[in-house]
Amino acid sequence: MANQTTETVRLMIDGISISVPKGTLVIEAARQAGVMIPHFCYHPKLKPDANCRMCLVEIERVRKLQTSCSTVATEGMAVRTATTVVNDAHKSVLEFILANHPLDCPVCDQGGRCDLQDFSHQYTATSRFAETKRIFQKEYFSPLIETQMNRCVQCLRCVRYCDEVMDVKALAPIGRGTMTEIKSFGNHPLDCEFCGGCVQICPVGAITSRLSMYEYRPWMLKRADTICTFCGDGCQITVQTKDQELIEVNSAHSGGRNNGDLCARGYFGFHAASHPDRVTHPLIRRNGTLVEATWEEALLFVAEQTNRIKQAHGPQAFGGLISGRCTNEELYLFQKFMRLTIGTNNLDSSARYGHVNGVQAMRRVQGTHRWTVTFEDIVQADVLLLVGTNITEANPITGLKVKEAVKKQEATLLTIEALQPAVGTISNITNLSKQHLCVAPSQFGAAVLGLLKAVIEGDHVDPGIRQRASDYVSALSHAVRQIAWEDLAVSTGISSDSFAQMAASVVRGRRVVVLAGQILLRSQGGYGMCLNLLDLLLLSGKLTSPGCGFAPLAEENNDQGAVEMGAVAELLPGALDLTDQDSRDRMARAWKEELPLVPGGTLIEMVDRASAGIIKSLFVVGENPVGSLPSQIRAKEALSKLDLLVCQELFLTETAALAHVVLPAASAMEKAGTFTNTEGHAQAVRPAIDPVGDSRPDWEILSAFSVFLGAPLEYGEAKEILKEIRSVIPGYGSLGPSPIAPTADPSAIDRYVTEGYRHDVAIRYTLPPRAVRQEGTVQLGLVQSLFHSGKFSTHSKGLLQIEPSAFLQMNPVDAARFALGSGDRVRLSNNRGQFITTVKVLERVPEGLAWLPDHFAQEALRLFDCVIDPDTKVPSFRTATVSVLKAT
Amino acid sequence: MPKYELILLKNMMQPGYTGSLQEYERAGGYQALRKVVGKVPPTEVTMAVMKSGLRGRGGAGFPTGVKWGFLPKDYQGPRYLCCNADESEPGTFKDRQLMERDPHQLLEGIVLACYAIGAESAYIYIRGELVLAAKILEQAIAEAQAAGYIGANILGTGITANVWVHRGAGAYICGEETALLESLEGKRGLPRFKPPFPATNGLYNKPTVVNNVETLANLPHIIGRGPEWFASIGSPPKSTGTRVFCVSGHVKRPGNYEVPMGVTFRELIYEHAGGMRSDKPLKAFIPGGASAPFLTSDHLDVKLDFESVAAAGSMLGSGGVTVMEEGTPMVWAALRLMEFFYHESCGKCSPCREGSSWLVQTMRRIVAKRGQMEDLETLVDLCKNIEGRTVCAFGEAEVAPIMSTLKYWRSEYVTLIQEAEAANLIRLEPTVARH
Amino acid sequence: MTFKAWIRTITFYELVVGMKATMSHLLHYKPITMQYPHEKRALPDNYRGMLSLLRYDDGTEKCVGCDLCEAACPSRVIRVVSAEVPGEPTKRYSKEYYMDMTRCLFCGLCVDACPVDALGMTREYEWSVYDKRQLHLNKEQLLAIGDRSFPVREKQLELQHPNVAFFNVAFKHLPQKPD
Repeated sequence: MANQTTETVRLMIDGISISVPKGTLVIEAARQAGVMIPHFCYHPKLKPDANCRMCLVEIERVRKLQTSCSTVATEGMAVRTATTVVNDAHKSVLEFILANHPLDCPVCDQGGRCDLQDFSHQYTATSRFAETKRIFQKEYFSPLIETQMNRCVQCLRCVRYCDEVMDVKALAPIGRGTMTEIKSFGNHPLDCEFCGGCVQICPVGAITSRLSMYEYRPWMLKRADTICTFCGDGCQITVQTKDQELIEVNSAHSGGRNNGDLCARGYFGFHAASHPDRVTHPLIRRNGTLVEATWEEALLFVAEQTNRIKQAHGPQAFGGLISGRCTNEELYLFQKFMRLTIGTNNLDSSARYGHVNGVQAMRRVQGTHRWTVTFEDIVQADVLLLVGTNITEANPITGLKVKEAVKKQEATLLTIEALQPAVGTISNITNLSKQHLCVAPSQFGAAVLGLLKAVIEGDHVDPGIRQRASDYVSALSHAVRQIAWEDLAVSTGISSDSFAQMAASVVRGRRVVVLAGQILLRSQGGYGMCLNLLDLLLLSGKLTSPGCGFAPLAEENNDQGAVEMGAVAELLPGALDLTDQDSRDRMARAWKEELPLVPGGTLIEMVDRASAGIIKSLFVVGENPVGSLPSQIRAKEALSKLDLLVCQELFLTETAALAHVVLPAASAMEKAGTFTNTEGHAQAVRPAIDPVGDSRPDWEILSAFSVFLGAPLEYGEAKEILKEIRSVIPGYGSLGPSPIAPTADPSAIDRYVTEGYRHDVAIRYTLPPRAVRQEGTVQLGLVQSLFHSGKFSTHSKGLLQIEPSAFLQMNPVDAARFALGSGDRVRLSNNRGQFITTVKVLERVPEGLAWLPDHFAQEALRLFDCVIDPDTKVPSFRTATVSVLKAT
Repeated sequence: MPKYELILLKNMMQPGYTGSLQEYERAGGYQALRKVVGKVPPTEVTMAVMKSGLRGRGGAGFPTGVKWGFLPKDYQGPRYLCCNADESEPGTFKDRQLMERDPHQLLEGIVLACYAIGAESAYIYIRGELVLAAKILEQAIAEAQAAGYIGANILGTGITANVWVHRGAGAYICGEETALLESLEGKRGLPRFKPPFPATNGLYNKPTVVNNVETLANLPHIIGRGPEWFASIGSPPKSTGTRVFCVSGHVKRPGNYEVPMGVTFRELIYEHAGGMRSDKPLKAFIPGGASAPFLTSDHLDVKLDFESVAAAGSMLGSGGVTVMEEGTPMVWAALRLMEFFYHESCGKCSPCREGSSWLVQTMRRIVAKRGQMEDLETLVDLCKNIEGRTVCAFGEAEVAPIMSTLKYWRSEYVTLIQEAEAANLIRLEPTVARH
Repeated sequence: MTFKAWIRTITFYELVVGMKATMSHLLHYKPITMQYPHEKRALPDNYRGMLSLLRYDDGTEKCVGCDLCEAACPSRVIRVVSAEVPGEPTKRYSKEYYMDMTRCLFCGLCVDACPVDALGMTREYEWSVYDKRQLHLNKEQLLAIGDRSFPVREKQLELQHPNVAFFNVAFKHLPQKPD
């Protein structure tokens, strides 16, 4: 647990007096004083190792030179870094480091931004080394990361990063002395998370990225700080380009919410934007085929058709879908376009796939649509409860915050996951947990109820809430009493003792953060589970305490923004209720126009209405309902019936292939705007390259539509839309490096505990149906893969090299049961259809479950049943029971 | 009949002594343990060791009692004792004999130390190559456990002291205490930077004491016969007790000799070890294992105690005395040691890692008569740059042979180089070090 | 004004001094106009003419595609596109190499910057063209200039550290080239 000490010590560095917090290392103190001490092995993220000996300094009253990276500053310490002795020491250490370092700077990718180069230049080091340099034979390392071990200075930063920060332990030093080289752990090519951390942290050119190998010199590159588009963590990335060509991505330490850490998607996935299959020209369907057209033709065509349908069928014949990967500005403009220019509330975004569950639960219980915690709170939490997150794969950087909390701040990690602790090629969060409950995704609800039951029956209910809302507490107590421990044990396979132990850990914590992941949010009854988890915090008295809170994790990079911008049918910008008259009035005043009254249809409702012929025209921005909804919904048939389907797309997706007009949209690398990450922090997106071909940012296209439709929504640049958003949404404007998380609204909590909880308490507090497991079947689950995010990443050549196709992940026991091994073809079937794929045996998959990454699962979608949440209308199609047969 | 009273080697010098539990008990073994455990408070045991003036026998010569005193007094939780039996220094072979011939003496010492510092677990980190010693120790532990000297309830007092043998995997650096701890934890045997010291953050980040085999083997005698008796032996007040010196090299009778501290090298070499092998005069000797600087025949009258040897510009180290007669090429001898250090440099910190390879290559070149005069200057410079800038003491150790031979036998280097220059053999065929 | 100065003024002494060279050449009997292109001047030894790319004696290109010439060029003549040698992992070469000679100053900084001596300045200067696009040279053209201008090629040294093999930089204890 981090005690935020305010104690400071004062020390002198080269005659500069500086006061730093207690426990600061001398090298950091010197940096703050503006004195740069050369170093290789030191990195602020890593524990000091003091192996390079470059940072030697003279400390008064200490006989030998000390390494400043491992010496803690003490009161009255006097450090000298610029004396002749120190300078000679630096020079001599540099001479040693250079001794075996090849002088191949001209062909080294690090040339121009190499620490060793810089220090050699600074100390004008000349080497007296006239012996033979050591040579390592070049060995194949991995498809994306290249090593050149002759350049290695053995600072072990990469090894330590891989272990301490990522918890992957894929790299290891092999050999001894000068013959130490960094290799993958075990005798095989590197197989790890491919976070690129080793490439970023290497001070020399020993580990480099193969994607951008030899393509650039650092001084040729233009840099743009933007936000990664792959998951909800909202990592800051610096995209480096050379002549409109994407060369490399990295992330500056202490920049952004990710603090310089990235995952494989962020580091190696950037090529998706420059894929040759990008739609570069507007396409219009003529005689059944899509042909290239000019923007004028396309816009005019859409305008004519829109006017015709509007006159014939009215505004309710229109619908709109937008992707949660668009910027806030685009989401805002899209809902404004649909609500004002078209005049309908039929609009939805990909937040509907799950994120809405979390947001609606938070709105209902605590009156906020954002987390009440930040990433910093996660790092400083003393108890972390993860439910259905699969955090390493779904939200890797939030996962790093959890790892940091556990490994550095010694937080207690409790996990309820469909995962087994196992040593694997990627890190496994359950390996770090103090207590882990392995539960099948369909039974997360049961596990949450078990925890609630343990809290209530273990008499852990906060006296404050018991006093303030005795009805609420007794209603919940009554509800949990209806559930028998035996039933819970049958459902989850977990004993009451384990639940009691976990409940006690939660209650004991002072700063408790509950993270609910994609698997929970997207599974059946996700809304109820979110409410139950909020009940858990409320009952244990943690909901309103500082540093405590509920944190549902978003899958897409701007799911949170989509909800906040009102790009869902039931919410207005600012996540205000559409049915609320005050909110409507306020929006109408801001927009100087009345809002449509008819409640809008959500995603599934729109598809249904389209197939019923009520909706005649659909505007789709970056969404792909045909590709992502299970075939049971019959999205393809529904969309084929439309009179006008307009798609703004990067690629010709399944939906765009049905469209009447496809308009080329600019990817996030090519436009400006803002993204709101899962913790509710809006961050700036900046263009790195010019739009590819004729593509334009989505907001420009929408703006152009509105002009052609005669109700212009005109903006000069994305910033103007942001300005409007700020004026429309009260309190919006917390753009900045440290967001201030909202606090739970006491009046909302009061409303909830007095009346709000009543109507569905009985439904929420029943055990989810138990899947009857038949012989020869497994429960198939759609999961996120670490190396892909949605369909977009399957256009990235780097990620495709790591994971080129879908595969079924299975427990070794199950695999043995079906006589399968890694690489075998397998046929999955149930009464809805069948699907053939390849098996990969992984120990972290629990027995009886099988996972399929959802980004390639198009074909497999037909196996899944779709259940729609009655409250939030979230379609859930994440699990299916399938029989497994080896395919020949 | 030996000239001095033997303490550590006494039992094993008895004819027919096999080192079994019965024989050790018959020779008065485990009496010290019986005397102390459960009867004398642990702090008094520590005090007794402090009073005896016992200093570490592993190399650094740090007072053992003081080391124990560094453990945090009020720490709740496990503490550990590690017995450093990773004896891999060229010219040192005392621990092996102590373990193979009289294992119970060591075990009694370990249990006493455990009792004194409050450790419930002790690990004997033994060099991987000492297969026999490890086997004998395992057997002895089993015997002692059966007899109730080791285990959960020692002699019925309710005190726990478990002893495990952990075999190393063949790295000299694991004799360095922090590298030993890393290796015990299952990691790469690389030294940790200090502070924090093992006394506070040792094995598994718990307070830990690391003591040498010979140090621990002394404990039964100190406790059994009293610290005052021990303090009276040797050359008090700083260097008390006896030491087992491993005499090797060009002597008539190489072997382990236990003598009180304070006798002279001349006595050790000429009386105990029987003098020079071929009766040539002595040219050089290493007083304390490979990491100690060489001394010359001028230093034969230096007393064998920590202070005197240090004053002579070397160190008593691990007690391995390697003797070289007249005619030994000193450059070659230094190269031989340097090659050992090059091979054993763990590679953690740059000066040692790169310096050792640089030094060894330069030395090889000089020995192969391909040196240049500048090389001598480079050698001195490199040695100075390595010394004191490394994580552990290995840096000091590896430059010792070169620095001392350059100090006393610089002319030999110069001769080699002059021959090289005369033969114009400066051109080298590059020998590429293949991995 | 002294007498001397006065005399100089009235005799236009400065004019005489200034015209001395002209006058002396006036009496020269041989014409100094060269009948170019039938006659050609002898070029100075360090003449900096057309740029070229060089090869080793075994025909391999010297250029490692390090982009340093591009960085050194003051008038942005050079453009290098480097890539990995196919089949030889981690070896770099210039896949494409362009020089826009219309902008070249012939300053020679690129030649100085080259770590492998892959660039050479030839003694060619007859490069007038009708279409200046012809002065935008690619790698093959530049290699061809090098081939015809430098018939004696440098040897690719053996017995080297593989890391420096492509730089042709020898350590000082290695066999030196005979003078």
